[in-house]
Amino acid sequence: MVNPVLLIVIPLGLAFVVPFFGFISKKIEKFIPFVALFFNLIVSLRLFPRVLEQPVHVSIGGFVPPFGINLVAGPIGILFTVLIALVGFLVSIYAFDYIKEKDQEKYHILYLLLLTGATGVVLTGDIFNLFVFFEILCISSYSLVAYFGDKTSIESAVKYLIQGALGSCLILMGIGLLYGQFGTLNMADLAGNIKSVHSVSIFVPLVLFITGFGVEAAIFPLNAWLPDAHSSAPSSISAVLSGIAIEVGLYAMIRVVFTLFGASSILTFLMLLGVITLLIGELCAFCQENIKRMLAYSSIGQIGLMLFALSIASSYGITGGLFQLVSHTLGKSLLFLAAGYMIYRSGSMNISSFEGMGKRMPYTALAFTIGAFSIVGLPPFIGFPGKLMIVKAALFEQEMLYTVLIFFILLATVIEGAYYFRVVQALYFKEEKNTQNQKREIAPLSILIPIFILTGFIVVIGIYPKLITDVLVSSASELLNRADYIKSVMP
Amino acid sequence: MNLIILLAIAFGGALITYFLGKISQKIRDIFAVFISLALAVIAACFYNVSSREIYYTGFLDFPFVLRVNTFSWFFAVTIAVIGLFSIIFSLNYIRKRGNTDFYYSMMLLVIASMIGIVLSGDLVSFYIFWEIMSWSTFLLISYNRGPAISAGMKYIIMSVTGSVVMLVGIVSLYLHYDTLVYTELSGLLNNASSGYILFIIILFFIAFGVKNAIWPLHVWLPPAHSEAPSPFSSVLSGILIKIGTYGIILLIFVIIQINVFLNLGEGILSVRYIISIIGVITILIPTFIALLQDDAKRLLAWSTIAQAGYIILGIAYGTSESVAGGMFHFFNHAIFKSLLFMVVGAVEYRTNGVRDLNSLGGLIKKMPVTFIGGLIGICGLIGVPLTNGFVSKWLIYKTLILNNSPFLAFAALLGTWGTILYSYKLIHNMFLGQLPEKYEKIKKAPFSMQLPIVILSLAIIFFGIIPGLPLHVINSIESGFGMEPLTINIWGIASDTGTINMLNIFTAVLVIGIMVWLIFKVSKKSTVIGQYDNYAAGTTVPKDKYNYSVNFYDPLCRMISPYLKDFIDDFYMSLARSIKNTGNGIRRIYTGDVGHYVIYIILFLALLIFIQINWELW
Amino acid sequence: MTFLSEYIYYIGAFGLIFIGLYIVLVKKNLIKVIIGLSIIDTGINLFLITIGYIRDGTAPVFSKPGLKANEMVDPVPQALVLTAIVIGVAILALAISLAVKLYKHHGTLNLRKINEQKW
Repeated sequence: MVNPVLLIVIPLGLAFVVPFFGFISKKIEKFIPFVALFFNLIVSLRLFPRVLEQPVHVSIGGFVPPFGINLVAGPIGILFTVLIALVGFLVSIYAFDYIKEKDQEKYHILYLLLLTGATGVVLTGDIFNLFVFFEILCISSYSLVAYFGDKTSIESAVKYLIQGALGSCLILMGIGLLYGQFGTLNMADLAGNIKSVHSVSIFVPLVLFITGFGVEAAIFPLNAWLPDAHSSAPSSISAVLSGIAIEVGLYAMIRVVFTLFGASSILTFLMLLGVITLLIGELCAFCQENIKRMLAYSSIGQIGLMLFALSIASSYGITGGLFQLVSHTLGKSLLFLAAGYMIYRSGSMNISSFEGMGKRMPYTALAFTIGAFSIVGLPPFIGFPGKLMIVKAALFEQEMLYTVLIFFILLATVIEGAYYFRVVQALYFKEEKNTQNQKREIAPLSILIPIFILTGFIVVIGIYPKLITDVLVSSASELLNRADYIKSVMP
Repeated sequence: MNLIILLAIAFGGALITYFLGKISQKIRDIFAVFISLALAVIAACFYNVSSREIYYTGFLDFPFVLRVNTFSWFFAVTIAVIGLFSIIFSLNYIRKRGNTDFYYSMMLLVIASMIGIVLSGDLVSFYIFWEIMSWSTFLLISYNRGPAISAGMKYIIMSVTGSVVMLVGIVSLYLHYDTLVYTELSGLLNNASSGYILFIIILFFIAFGVKNAIWPLHVWLPPAHSEAPSPFSSVLSGILIKIGTYGIILLIFVIIQINVFLNLGEGILSVRYIISIIGVITILIPTFIALLQDDAKRLLAWSTIAQAGYIILGIAYGTSESVAGGMFHFFNHAIFKSLLFMVVGAVEYRTNGVRDLNSLGGLIKKMPVTFIGGLIGICGLIGVPLTNGFVSKWLIYKTLILNNSPFLAFAALLGTWGTILYSYKLIHNMFLGQLPEKYEKIKKAPFSMQLPIVILSLAIIFFGIIPGLPLHVINSIESGFGMEPLTINIWGIASDTGTINMLNIFTAVLVIGIMVWLIFKVSKKSTVIGQYDNYAAGTTVPKDKYNYSVNFYDPLCRMISPYLKDFIDDFYMSLARSIKNTGNGIRRIYTGDVGHYVIYIILFLALLIFIQINWELW
Repeated sequence: MTFLSEYIYYIGAFGLIFIGLYIVLVKKNLIKVIIGLSIIDTGINLFLITIGYIRDGTAPVFSKPGLKANEMVDPVPQALVLTAIVIGVAILALAISLAVKLYKHHGTLNLRKINEQKW
């Protein structure tokens, strides 16, 4: 019997012993995240079949809900845990050779804390505990954005911090308001007490949560920090930020909206917000010359797409949205990792510096191409089933509004295609200008392995989406059936 | 033989080719030819087989079906055969270029996905193969670099736009009828409201129209076809755009059914008539734009759009004869247009990439086989009797006239007149006239280029004299669609409304030919004039001072060119620019000042609370 | 007057929050913005404490006999505030250290002038 608590305790504990290992040997440090996340991956995969049958509940310290803190490993929680562990594990391999600065141990500590925070957010069943883990996630990501310590990264980190701190203040205020009214912090207990969001006293906390989590989830107009932060962080961190952090923010937001408040009336608004986020993200990305900024804006667009699909709030919609989430996590991490190594080699983030990379780094360029095709939604890669499911979910509603919105979304997909294809052309069909370093450089194995594994997942799930659709369907029903969630936590 | 094995060979071959190239170039070449040959042979083996198999069910509850019947067999064989000839033609053409592994592997991937498209039996797997074809084509179009990059970009953007629109149509069909398998879907739309059918037709037509380069959606084609490597141009022009035709036939005859289609709308506003008009516009405008081109491949590219117009006209008109004409023209166009691109490609290969019609000329002596190929090719294109193009165009004209659409027929004939002009320009400026001095050392095309040229030329003549063979297949396709079959014999068509018998024409031409030959034989020997034996104002003109092929048709071109500006292209380009400007404007909201960002957050919060307090929306 | 005495803590808490927001919105200096964030934090902490506070209440320890539950202060908000203070301090420390670095790079702490990362 494996306990979901281990998923949080082990990485958290290991994070703080990194410096002690550093005393023994500086070389061991970088393997600590690797070990911790490998452990997490195994544990979460072991939990997987059990969770699908019935959610696993753990009461910390023996207090039964609604007292005390409890962990709820439902299908959606375990889905996120697996994703976090998987991407975190692969990125920790990537970091072996990528992170060479002096302060390695700080990187590894913060990295583990970031992933611990993310895992905690998705597993906890207590709103204040969620806030605490959320803060762990945020604070470690502020400092990781500043990791390089140069002009741009410090600037981005400061801006990220100001907006993020404001966002978390709003969340805390929302928690205070809810506690003041209901005297409980347990999400299931709160959900049982909230019948409608119509009254201002309930609506204000909801809006505070949406705004607060929206900052981390990068919903327009709360997303101004994202392009700066994602583009100036180390690429391994950009991959995690883009692939995990904003998705966790989105998770917190939909968890609050669906489970805590059951706020179906605000969903139409969120849906429109999603489409606006998508369009603005893609339009901004279309004009970027800096590759990492382009990818960052593309993440904004993808978050908008997910928000749209999740806000449809039908089984199809949530399944599609979560599928898109998985595909974005895999695809965007791959893109950041592949682009990161090419940037590392060429020394510039400009798209024109990628010219001729197809010849210089064939494997990395190929992986980048596959990731780009997948994000655009071309078969046989993972992005296509996601796109198909979202279109299906939107048309299933049989309303004019949805049909119109889906055309806007598809227009955004075309714009997205335009800038990704441009990079692909730069990789393969433009000759490098300075011809001195034309020789092939195969990336070291620690770079190639994570890239290949992600590529493999993208292709395999793209061809055989059934691998994940089952868990997505039960996740969707967990989100939609609020009463079941309440009953399962507090029988 | 299983259909899935055919597909496995096609896709596996594409993949293996890439890795074989890392071992040895020679083995890879042989392997690529072998794979495409195998595809052609296996595809041909499915003649008269009608089977259907579910091969995959793991994709989101959509069963994937492969099916073969005469309709898909006809397309599959054409694709495989043209693909084979293009691969053979590539052997020399591509040898000295970089990235040849990539080239062959993508070429095979394009062919494989096209075969996948025509063999798939449900719309989701159709769509998947369709998209694979789109991106692999995109990668190949850009292969030549330089201007090819923007050509590839234009292609993929339009293609993706088309396919996402089609995706909406496919999903809508699924949600209405709960299946996407053709056999289950066909006939279900009989009871649908005509508004819904129109909605579906428009959605699908945008996608297929982009691929098929129907008039307002054609702008990607001229740059893409002219900038792609020539063997791939012949695949693009010969078969790839015909996948759009396949889609249109599938939509009209399988999914919607012809009787429903013909009854959509009334008189001049009926869908059938509107599409026919679009077909005619697609014939007329590009034909005369082709006349203005000085780049051989660009000329052929515009000509491709025009010929696709004939196919659309024939299919959309919807009578047995016109559909037969349209489908036969598809087949013929695949042959002669890929032949012509190969001819231009051979010349381009020998002259090191010269395609400018103004600087070529007089190559007839140097490349005689290529010239003959080009001559037969343009005869087919124009529709000279005894070539296959004659029969298909005859069918289209005849049905248009018989069914009281004289204006459509006249417009189509006008298109043929334009075709004669630009075809002559093409052949004259490349092969006739004076040979520029710099090309004196030119050699004839290598064998691997001559072989496809010769075979395709023979095919044009063969199917021109014996049109009964393909017409027989087309006839059984039509009866499969529930249309009234034509009366076919091996030499042509025998029906009460009009008979065409190529044997008679052949005999007549043969007799006249013999007579002409006899007259020449009997009469006084005529003098043979050399290429440089030119006189002007009583003196010989020095070499290179006088070239007939510069500014061909100049007066005519000056007359028509103001009317033929490609304003559609300008429109798309300005659309793209305005999207870019919008993006540039919008991203100014991220001002870089964190104070503004904080204001956004607070305003967002305040706005939501304000709305709720005032209007209680939520 | 009774109104004021009953709600004085809430007024104080939200007063602090709005003062903090004002500072964050209007001030250009990074240090002042950080102070503003800190004031918001303090305001929220005060608010949380206030939720559980009962006038003349005692600690929720069941040692004295005869003490009723409604005479005891709710302990949960205090625990929350403790955590929130720790988090606030962490953010404050990080922000200050970043401010030092920022000053080294840019030579100014004026946020209006630090806008290299944009669009």
